[in-house]
Formats: sequence, C-alpha cells, structure tokens
Amino acid sequence: MELLHVALAVLFVPLGIAGLLMIVAPLRRSGRAAGVLSVLGSLFALAGSLYLFAALFGASGSELDRLTTTWLPHARLGAGRLASPIELGVLLDGISVSMLVVVCFVACMVQIFSLGYMSHEPPADFGRYFTWQSLFLFAMNTLVIAPNLLQLFLGWELVGLASYLLIGFYFRKPSAARAAVKAFWMTKLADMGLIAGLIVLFRETGTFDWTVTTPAATVVTFLLFIAVMGKSAQFPLHVWLPDAMEGPTPVSALLHAATMVAAGVFLIVRADPLFAQAAFTREFMLYIGAFTALFAACIAVVQSDIKKVLAYSTCSQLGYMVAALGAGSQVAGFFHLTTHAFFKALLFLAAGSLIHAVHSNELRQMGGLFSKMKLTSICFIVGALALAGIPGLSGFFSKDLILEVVLARGAYVPLAALLVAAFLTAFYMGRVVLLALFGAPSEAAGHAHESGVSMTLPLVLLSVLALGSGYAGAQLSGLYAEPVHFHLSTIGIVATGLALTGIAVSFWMFGPAKGGAAVQAAFAPLGRVARSGAVDQLYLLGYRRGLRGLAAGAAWFDRYMIDGAINAAAYGTLELGGRLRRLQNGDVQTYLYVVAMAAVLFALAGLVGVG
Amino acid sequence: MHFFDRHLLAIIVAAPAIAAFIVLLLPEARLAWTRMVSLVGSLVSLIGAIVVAWTYDIGAAGLQRAESFPLVPSLGIELSLAVDGWGVSLLLLTGIIITTGVMASWTLENRAKEFFVLLLLLVAGVLGVFVSQDLFVFFLFYEIAVLPMYLLIGIWGSRGKVEASGPFAFAWKRFDIGGREYAAMKLTLMLLVGSAAILIVIFAMYFEAGGKSFDLSYLGRAQYSRSMQLWAFPLCWLGFGSLAGVFPFHTWSPDGHAAAPTAVSMLHAGVLMKLGAFGVIRVGMMMLPEGAAIWAPWVGGIAVINVLYGAICASHQKDLKYIIAYSSVSHMGIVMLGAATLTIDGWNGAIYQMFAHGMMTGLFFALVGLVYERAHTRWIPDMGGFAKVMPGVAAFFTLAGLSSLGLPGLAGFVAEFLVFLGAWQSAHPWWAIPGILGAWFTAVYVLRAARAIFWGEGPPKDLHELKEAHRTEWVALWALGLCLIVFGCFPRLILDFIHVSTVQYLPLIVKTAAAVAVAP
Repeated sequence: MELLHVALAVLFVPLGIAGLLMIVAPLRRSGRAAGVLSVLGSLFALAGSLYLFAALFGASGSELDRLTTTWLPHARLGAGRLASPIELGVLLDGISVSMLVVVCFVACMVQIFSLGYMSHEPPADFGRYFTWQSLFLFAMNTLVIAPNLLQLFLGWELVGLASYLLIGFYFRKPSAARAAVKAFWMTKLADMGLIAGLIVLFRETGTFDWTVTTPAATVVTFLLFIAVMGKSAQFPLHVWLPDAMEGPTPVSALLHAATMVAAGVFLIVRADPLFAQAAFTREFMLYIGAFTALFAACIAVVQSDIKKVLAYSTCSQLGYMVAALGAGSQVAGFFHLTTHAFFKALLFLAAGSLIHAVHSNELRQMGGLFSKMKLTSICFIVGALALAGIPGLSGFFSKDLILEVVLARGAYVPLAALLVAAFLTAFYMGRVVLLALFGAPSEAAGHAHESGVSMTLPLVLLSVLALGSGYAGAQLSGLYAEPVHFHLSTIGIVATGLALTGIAVSFWMFGPAKGGAAVQAAFAPLGRVARSGAVDQLYLLGYRRGLRGLAAGAAWFDRYMIDGAINAAAYGTLELGGRLRRLQNGDVQTYLYVVAMAAVLFALAGLVGVG
Repeated sequence: MHFFDRHLLAIIVAAPAIAAFIVLLLPEARLAWTRMVSLVGSLVSLIGAIVVAWTYDIGAAGLQRAESFPLVPSLGIELSLAVDGWGVSLLLLTGIIITTGVMASWTLENRAKEFFVLLLLLVAGVLGVFVSQDLFVFFLFYEIAVLPMYLLIGIWGSRGKVEASGPFAFAWKRFDIGGREYAAMKLTLMLLVGSAAILIVIFAMYFEAGGKSFDLSYLGRAQYSRSMQLWAFPLCWLGFGSLAGVFPFHTWSPDGHAAAPTAVSMLHAGVLMKLGAFGVIRVGMMMLPEGAAIWAPWVGGIAVINVLYGAICASHQKDLKYIIAYSSVSHMGIVMLGAATLTIDGWNGAIYQMFAHGMMTGLFFALVGLVYERAHTRWIPDMGGFAKVMPGVAAFFTLAGLSSLGLPGLAGFVAEFLVFLGAWQSAHPWWAIPGILGAWFTAVYVLRAARAIFWGEGPPKDLHELKEAHRTEWVALWALGLCLIVFGCFPRLILDFIHVSTVQYLPLIVKTAAAVAVAP
C-alpha cells in the first residue's frame, strides 16, 4: 500500500464521518449508530497510523514521504524568487507519524470510553457529541501531518473550533456556554501571534516552511510562541483551561489534556529549525515554562474539584514540555508530550469513571471508592504514579530527561522551579488519590459501582502505555537527529527523592493519621489566592471595563457624533430651505418690490463701479 | 444555442429585468407565479454565471465574451459587455445571492409583486455593473442598482430603537430616527451624494481623454495629468466608497440594513456594497493609478479604521440586525485594505473578500430575517435558548459567524489571510496589525451574539411562534452554507479567476506608483 494513500485515508475518513453525521440528521439523531460509526472511524485511523508507524522503522531516512498541492495562487511583483504558490499537503516523517499514533490512539480510547460515559445523554446530543469528536480527529490530524506552518495553522484553528463546540456541549448550561466562548476568545487572542508570525515569515522568505533560515527568526518564533502560550495554556494565557472542564470529561481527557493543548508543544517541536535560530525566544520559553510548571502545581494543590486538579496539573506538565524545548531539546519535549498524553488521558478517563459513579466532581463527595471500583482505582493510581514521576513508570523517564537537559543548559533557576513542581506534583496526586479512593466513603460513594467494559477497557489499555511507554524513549530519540542517552543520573535521584517525599507528605496529611494541620493552615492563604483567580479577575476587568467600555464609547460616537453630524447637516438643509422658501410666497407685490429694489441696487452698483 | 452562447452576458443581465417585467404583468393575486417567475429569472442569471465561469479560459485571461451595441454613437457611448476574471467571480456571487434571496423572501406577502419587481431590477443593475466595459453604461447600471433601495426599505422595512442624545440631539425632532422612511431617505441621499462625485470624475476623465469614447480600456490607456488625478481619485473614492461603507460615510449602512427586509439586506450587504469597492478599484485605482498611488496610504489608513471601528461598534449593539450591519462595515474595510496594499495578495484578497463576505453576510441576513419573523423581535436581550427549537438555524448562524471571524476552512479566512499577507508586503506593514485585531473583535461580538441568542436555557415563554426554517428557506441556508465551506476549502475554484486578472492589472499601477515615489 502506498503510504500517502494510507495517510490521506487516516485524515479523511474521520472527516467523512463527521460530514455524514452533520448532513444526515436522522443518522446523527439516532445516537447509538452515530457513536459506533465514529468509533469505527477512529479505529480505522488508529490502524492506519500504526501501519505508517511500522513503515517508519523500515525506512532509511527520517522522512517517509511528502505530498503537496497548490492551495492558493500567489505571485509577488519584482520578486520572482519569492513567487512560489501557497501549498498544503501531507508530510510523513518521524515526528508527524509518532504524533499521529499518539493522537489516534488516545482519540480512539476516548471515543470508546465515551460510548459508555455519554450513554445517558439524549440520542440527538449523543450523536452531536460524536460528530464533533470525529471533526476533532480530522482537525488534529491535519495539524499533525502538516508539511508547513500554514497547514499547521489551519488545523490549529479547527481544533480550536472543536474545542469550542465540545466545551459548549452542554450549551443549555450558562457556565458551559461561558466557558466555551471564553476558551475560544482566549486562544483566538493568542492566535493573532501565529497569524502575525506567518505573515512576517512569508514576507521574508516567501514560504511557510519551518526549515528556512531567516534573520527574522527571533521575531517569527516569538510571535509563534504567543500562540503556543494560548493553546498550551502557559501563564498568563492559561485561564481558559480550568474553565474548559465544563465540557464532558472524555473531552477534557482528549482535547484539554492529551492532544489539543499539546498542539502548542508540537508546533515548537515541528518548527524546531526556526526556534533553533532564536536564542532569545528559547530563553523566554524556558522561563515561562518553568514558571507555569511551578505556578500551576501550586494552584493544583488547593483545588477541591478533581477535574480542576487535573486541569492545573496539565498546565504544569505543559510547562515542563515548554521548558524542555526552551532548553533546546526536541526529544525531551516530545517524549514528555507522548507519555503525558497517555497517563493524563488515563487520569482524566479514570476520574470520569469516578465522577460517573458519584455524579459529582467534588473530592469531598468521593472517598472510599477503592473498594467499590477496584479496576478503575488501580488504573487511576497507575496514572497518578506515572505523573508523580515514580521510577519505572513512563512519567519518570520523560521528566528526568527534561530535568537533565535543563541542568545541562545551566539554567539553575528554572531547574529549581521544576524540581519544586515535581515535589508538588507528587503531593497533589497523593492527595487526590487518598481523598477520592481511600478514607471514609461519602454518602454518594455508597451507591458507586464499577463501570461497564466500554469504559474499563480503554483504562486498562492506557494503563499499559502509562506503565510502559517510558521505555520507548530510546527508539523515539532515534527518530531525531538528536542523540539522547538514558542513564541513572544524580538529578534523577534527586527528583525521585522529591517525588517520594511528596507522596509521603500527602500520606501524612491525608492518610489515616490526618496529620499536618499546621501545614494545612500554612496552605490556606495559597488556597485563597488560587480561588480568587487574580489573573482571571484581571482579564475580566479588561473585558468589562476596557473592551465593553471602548465598544460603548465607539457606538455612542458613531450614533451621536458622526451620524449626529449627518443628521444635523440634513436638519440644516431643511431649515435653510424653510427660510429660503419665504422668498417664493406667491405674492406678486412682493416679487415686484424685490425686482425694483434689485434694479435700484444694481444701478447704484453700476454707478459706483463706473465712477 | 449559438445565439445563447454569443449573447450570454446580455442574457445574464437581462434575465432578471425580463422577469421583473413579466411579474409586473401578472395579477396581484397570483403570488405563487410571482415567486416562480422571480426564481426562474434569478436562476437563469445564476446558471449563466456558472456557464461563463466554466467556459472562461483562464490561460488566456483578459476580457472574454465581448459584445457591444452602440447606444449614442455621437458621444461614443456603447453597451459593451465583457467579462474578466474578477467579473466571473462577482457574477457568480450575485447569482447565488439573488437566487437565495428570492428563496429567503418566499413567505413575504405584503405587496409581494412590487417587491419582487424592484428586487429583480436592482439585481439587473448589479449584474450590469460587473460586466460593463463602458463607463457611462457602468454608471447607468450602478444607479439602477442603487435607486430601488429607497422604495424597498421605505415600504417593506422595519424599525429599530434609537434614543435622542448627544450634541446633535436638536436634529432629532425633525426626523423619525430609527424608522424605515428615515433609513431609506438617509441611505438614498448619502449614496446620491456619492453618485454626484462619481459623475464629476467620469466627465473629467471623458474630456481629458479626448471625449471620443467611454470605453473603459480606452479611458484606461489615456494619460491623465497628475493634478487631475490628485483631485479626481479622492472624489472617486468618496463616491464609490460611500457605497462600500468607508468611514465616516458609513452611517447609512447600519440604519439602512437594519430597517431593510431580509432579501434586501442580503442583496445590499451581500452585493451592493461590493459595487462600491469594485468601483474604487476598477475606476479609481485602475484609471487613475497615480492618484491611487499617492492616496493609497489614506485609503488604507481609513480602511484600517473601518475594520476596527466597525467591529468595536458592533460589539456594543443589542439589536441583532445592527450587529450584522456593523460587521459589514468592518468587513468591507478588509476589502478596501486589500485594495490599498497594491500587492497581488492584497488585491486577490480584496476581491475574494467581496465574494466571501457576500455569501457570509447573505447567510447572516437570511438567518436574522428568519429569527425576526418568528420571534418578532431583533432585541438580543429578549432572546435566549433558541437552539432548542431551531437547532438548524443555530448551526448556520454559527457557521456564518465562524466564517466572519476568519476560521480556516471557511471562505472568510482565505480572503482575510490574503489581505493580511498583502498588507505586510505593502509599504505600510502596520496595517496588518489592526486588521488581525479586527478579526479577534469579530470573534468577540459574533460568539457573544450566538451565545445570547441560541445558547442557554430554553426560549422565553412568550415567544411561542419559534420554529425551524422550512422548505425554500432551508435551500437558501444550505446553498449559502455549503458555498462558504466549499470556497473555504477549495479557494482556487474562484481565486484562479481572480488571480489572472490581478496579475494583469496590478503591475501597471505598481509601476506608476514606483514612478511617483521617485518623482518629487
């Protein structure tokens, strides 16, 4: 089989299904059939991507194949060199194919899980959900196999659309409606950077390629990074991600943890040749990433909603990836992206299973679920340990690699931040596990029972990868030009020690002993700060006072000044007409009088003029 | 067959006019016939436009299907028709909009006969402008397109809420501001002032070129003195630009579009405003290149104001129609911005934006009309949760909104992106920044409106007539929606036509611009 044909099928089968479900309303409203069709599409995509992945190991170079077609005609006057047309296409190489596998796998797991999780929805809504899921898979794959930054951008915006539609899935609920719109606004605001980056790049080089060498690299990459901060929820553009948890939990797992939010990181990995020319941007990324990792981990500690903990944890882990890329290591960033996709999707889905059982997101409402839902709980614990960076599990390998490259870069301040964040990560995950799965069962937890097979099967499969995908690091690095050695390092031991300490502290505080009241009291102010959402408030102020105020002012100006002046001109014309009308009052005597007076005046004027 | 092929352009232009004449002869009670005849008339134009596109030789480019009949030989006035790549795309747009517009007004019953007559006449004028190669006839068609609007709004319009305030409040007492007659009168008067300006420029060109012919290519070859171009270009910009809604001559647009009935808003925002922008490019920039080069910074600067100002004003509106009307002001700014860049990407983007925005705003106004007809209100705070009873309408509204905020995969993105590319390559790269910002503001107001109207808990109790679109309305929505998607994914279907004309016309102007830059 031709590889490109497989790639195109992987791309367009989910789109075809999404289109079919959009157009054929009865099929969509039937619910179940729509769901099954969508799952089949994702299974097909997964199979295709695995086929491509297998081909990768038989190939000689890292690039398998490439296909491009003209999308827009283009010409530039007086610059024949820069006049190549604007293209779209498919690029199959190590990065794109391995990302394709990650995306298709997680998407497939999430869709299968959703068959069970969403089964209580009305059929029409169920069908709509799977329509958007298929659309998302197409959009994400468009982004992943993009041969240039333009197509990456197209996919980037389309996943944003899917995110908007899926967060707003419960559109009758005002908070979900608000969250969907907010997510779109925030990411779109950041995306202005991406558009700007593209047009600057295009003017300088005449292409949207990431392989070009250009003096404008620093400007371009900085602009691109602004968009990354929006999409990958980096401080201070992260505020939409916690709100995005209003969407159904499988959506949070797929879009807002495993794949879509990682698109920003993927962009940096992809455009690495450009970023390599921009030392300043990389430095900036390193600090932003490390700060986000620490900042979000702090907030995650005090959240009481299980999805919010995981959301902030996602912010924090994305911070790790960005920091790794800032330190200049493609492999470390991408490796963590991969392992994180598996264990975070696992955590979200398992959390969804718990939520499904107790009908609440609140940690307080859970408790003691381990005995009721053993399989789910074990999967959740595997995910938590992987996230905490316990040796042997996937998260350990990728996090260790990040710490190593940051250390090798000699950036000690970011390194310290990342280490503290590692401690906090272990601590908050220990807290969640202890509060949700152990301890005294709440009333709601009393009726909980294990979920059906469509929900547990994805959990088990994801657990396998959360356990094992760390060992694929060496293979992964083989796909890049960058040699990476995995070995036991000092920094790895330090990080492991911190993680274990974090778990121990959480056990001391939230385990049977319920110790550390003083520590909890010490955390209280942090909790207040986190809950007040200072950054959020700032945006809200900017929106309410700044934007709405500006709009009100402009609208007033338009209606009452510009249009007012035009009305006044019309008014003046009418008034003038009214006055002048009196000259023509139809009274013959008046006319005669005027004529006579005029004659006299002209005569006088003539006399004066002659004289 | 041969006859049809030879005179296809004339048939396209004449079809709506003939349909209008037939409708005029039909008895008032035969409503179904009236509708059918109108639909057939517009379909003939649409199919003709598709045939023209199909047979247009892109490789050969240039003007094709030329035909002419002398009208006033002593003055050199000819009814000469021909089509270039731009013309092809704009004919297609007009065909799509009028066909869907007739479908969207299917349920109109109040004096339907007169309504369709005027609507079809207007469209004949629009189609005429896009294919005229004689400036006098161009202007004639232009006026035919603009004038029926007065009656269409004045008779079939609706009213909005406006309160007197501000330093010019004294003028309020003489006008019924917000009313349909006021809106119709304002629109007509403002556009007529523009027409007067155009007429001056046309005569100046005619006499300075030798007074032998109004032929566009003849006038285009003439060398106009720089001093003449210097005053004639801004006059031309003012004249055509007022129809394109350039700041600060745009205020007829919100009131006019808000007051107008559905199909009229669709046509007016969808194609008529494009006539203005088309005139600025076709007559202003191509006939008066030196003037264009000198005034381009102003044209672009004002276009940037349009983009941002229109979007910001739209963000404050609570009347649904006003939101869409202001968004047209903003999006026409993109067209003018693209034109002012004097780059190939910019011009391609400008013409493509005419096409894309035409369909998008057509869809928007069709939907707004639909919502208004069922909810009997345009006031957004009174709405909410409509998606529950009209999910299809909600979906199409979202689609139109996404196109207007420039979502890739929909036609609006291609146009905006090309304009931004062009702006950054132009002599004034900073134009791109407010342009991009404008797209974000669009996201703000469009998504907020969509949320307020369609999302949230079920619709208010007192709105019990809400229901989905039906039959012909569905056809209109699907046709426009699919066009947005198809032309967003495969822009070359249209862009190839546009591109061949742009690369033919632009180099000359840029050469002149370069010469102007060197000369003192």
